[in-house]
Amino acid sequence: MSGPGFSRREMLAIGGAAAGLAAMTPLAHARMLPEAMDRDVFAAACRELRAIVGEDWVFADEASTISYRKSFIPDLRGEHIPSGAVAPASVEQVQAILAVANRYKLPLWPVSTGHNMGYGMATPASSGQMILDLKRMNRIIDFDAELGTILVEPGVTYQQIHDYIEEHNLPYWLDVPTVGPIVSMVGNTLERGVGYTPYGDHFFMQCGMEVVLADGSILRTGMGSIENGNTWQAFKWGYGPYLDGIFTQSNFGVVVKMGMWLMPKPPVYKPFVVRSANFEDVAAITNTIRPFRMNNLIPNGVLIMGALYQLAMFKRRSEVFSGDGAIPMDLLKAEAARNGLGMWNTYFALYGTDEIIGAVEPILRGAFEAAGGEVLTEAEMGGNPWFEHHKTLMRGGMSLEEIGLVRWWGRNGGAVAFAPVAPAKGDQTLAQSALATEIMNKYGFDYAPAYAVGGRELHHIIFLMFDKGDDASAARAEQCIDEMITRFGERGWAAYRSSVSTMDLVAQQYGQTNREVNARIKQALDPNHILAPGKQGIA
Amino acid sequence: MGTSASRWRAAGGLAAAAAMAAIAMLGGNARAQATYEVQPRAPEFLYARTCGYCHGHNVAPIIRGRNLPAPVIAAMVRSGQGAMPAFKPTEITNAELQALAQWLSTAPADPREHGQ
Ligand SMILES: Cc1cc2nc3c(=O)[nH]c(=O)nc-3n(C[C@H](O)[C@H](O)[C@H](O)COP(=O)(O)OP(=O)(O)OC[C@H]3O[C@@H](n4cnc5c(N)ncnc54)[C@H](O)[C@@H]3O)c2cc1C
Repeated sequence: MSGPGFSRREMLAIGGAAAGLAAMTPLAHARMLPEAMDRDVFAAACRELRAIVGEDWVFADEASTISYRKSFIPDLRGEHIPSGAVAPASVEQVQAILAVANRYKLPLWPVSTGHNMGYGMATPASSGQMILDLKRMNRIIDFDAELGTILVEPGVTYQQIHDYIEEHNLPYWLDVPTVGPIVSMVGNTLERGVGYTPYGDHFFMQCGMEVVLADGSILRTGMGSIENGNTWQAFKWGYGPYLDGIFTQSNFGVVVKMGMWLMPKPPVYKPFVVRSANFEDVAAITNTIRPFRMNNLIPNGVLIMGALYQLAMFKRRSEVFSGDGAIPMDLLKAEAARNGLGMWNTYFALYGTDEIIGAVEPILRGAFEAAGGEVLTEAEMGGNPWFEHHKTLMRGGMSLEEIGLVRWWGRNGGAVAFAPVAPAKGDQTLAQSALATEIMNKYGFDYAPAYAVGGRELHHIIFLMFDKGDDASAARAEQCIDEMITRFGERGWAAYRSSVSTMDLVAQQYGQTNREVNARIKQALDPNHILAPGKQGIA
Repeated sequence: MGTSASRWRAAGGLAAAAAMAAIAMLGGNARAQATYEVQPRAPEFLYARTCGYCHGHNVAPIIRGRNLPAPVIAAMVRSGQGAMPAFKPTEITNAELQALAQWLSTAPADPREHGQ
């Protein structure tokens, strides 16, 4: 391994720039006022916000806003610069802030922990919005040890719940996205994020929420408003129209509490990887997994990890390739093999008892081997850093290792995600992989894929890594993402989620009637459009 | 100790009982930690639960044992240089950050840390 990534002198330069805010271009500024809002009016709004949350929790100058400006995605025209941030500590403070925002027509962009990495972090869909940072609301409000349910506030991180479970010796497992320690159960679930245990579809496992609407009223979904009720976290659907969905990937309200189901800790856990040698093998892998996900013999959120995504976690591009253009396939294959990896590495796990696992394992082995894969376990792969990483994930453990891919091109970082959905059919995954490779290679980028397999579909998570320190690279990244969205769209494949920079483009693909229905709900619930205008293409 | 199926039931039952006893002591409703500004967390605690997942763990540069100046560390945490996420005052308060940066600037190298 190489030595530390930067010298002391570089550190001083970096630190000096950050501390002194020696911004080189106007776009490097951390703040931008809301469009059409006078400086004095903004200042008056901030004074009112300070009266609600206290002096320390309104951030409205360059230095204190800098953390909210950070993202990994390209933003060459300064379209995602917040005006500042306000951080309430209670539901009452959220209500009071919304009243001020309505009066001043101040747009607010709510975040729970604001680490929506590859999708824009805490930055808003359009410049000038003020970040409504809910991180201080960080209580685990309830943990029902019999039902395995939890009720949390937005600022609760997966690490906090993990520590809580350990501290109280509770017989439950978490399910985390790959970046659990610093992100929130609420933010992730509202984005309809995914994890890798049998509870990997987070919104599916969500049960009840409390939402502050733009006018300050408080809605409890599902069973949450029943007088003396005790089933809020036990039964999802409530009575009448099911409302939880309209508050996910949306700007219809501020979610201040959320219930989730947790997986009972199994006595035995056995992780596997299936190593496949060739790019084309993704078709056979998909067809092999599908029936087992449908009949639940494979119970967890499976990941089919491309070689490049895996290598990028722990290596920099320059260690692998120094030529022009995208990394050639044969070179990638050889580098993967040197690290004990295939072109595709499929991670799944079995949970339960020795007897259950003993009965299921041979069925799965036979099927994957027939599809040309090598089926490997701890015995062969223990100690391999990639196997260890996925072993941690498939039991809901804490890791940030995947953030390594953000510095693939070097220390400036740079990554933006495109996540189209595919039906779980081999010809579809192969066609998507071929199209993404063609487009990305044309722009000089490497195709870094992970397929997260649900029951009947796959989220095709494509991380486009670029050099954010190089405007030309960032410009190519923007064009490349737009072309992928457009050309995938022409084939009928659309993203399940998007970065703040492409929300409108993706929304268009879901059709005009969808947009109009969303617009009408928005108008009814938030007539001043103070909550996250532009979120998922909803004004 | 019987089959693993009976272990499953037994383990679940025992742990759940222990957990419920713990929660009963908390007054029936399991309350988590209060907000951070009430209870500042120690630098070692913060390092283990945030920085240490990347730094010295194959993902980001080793920063212990390098006598990095505390103000530089603090500025980098807030701004999130390069591939590093930025950490907001709502995640790590100013007081916590000051103590963390101070501690890191003099913390000895940890031989268990590795990588770039
Ligand atoms: C290398 C890498 C790997 C990743 N792996 C995964 C993965 O495995 N699975 C996955 O799902 N994601 C993954 N991500 C993406 C992302 O980092 C996570 O989804 C993360 O959980 C989102 O950040 P957060 O929890 O801080 O949410 P936030 O940033 O707080 O919220 C995200 C968005 O949801 C809305 N929102 C949040 N809170 C509220 C609220 N209380 N009320 C109303 N609206 C709200 C806002 O629009 C906000 O911008 C990965 C990213 C990277 C870079």
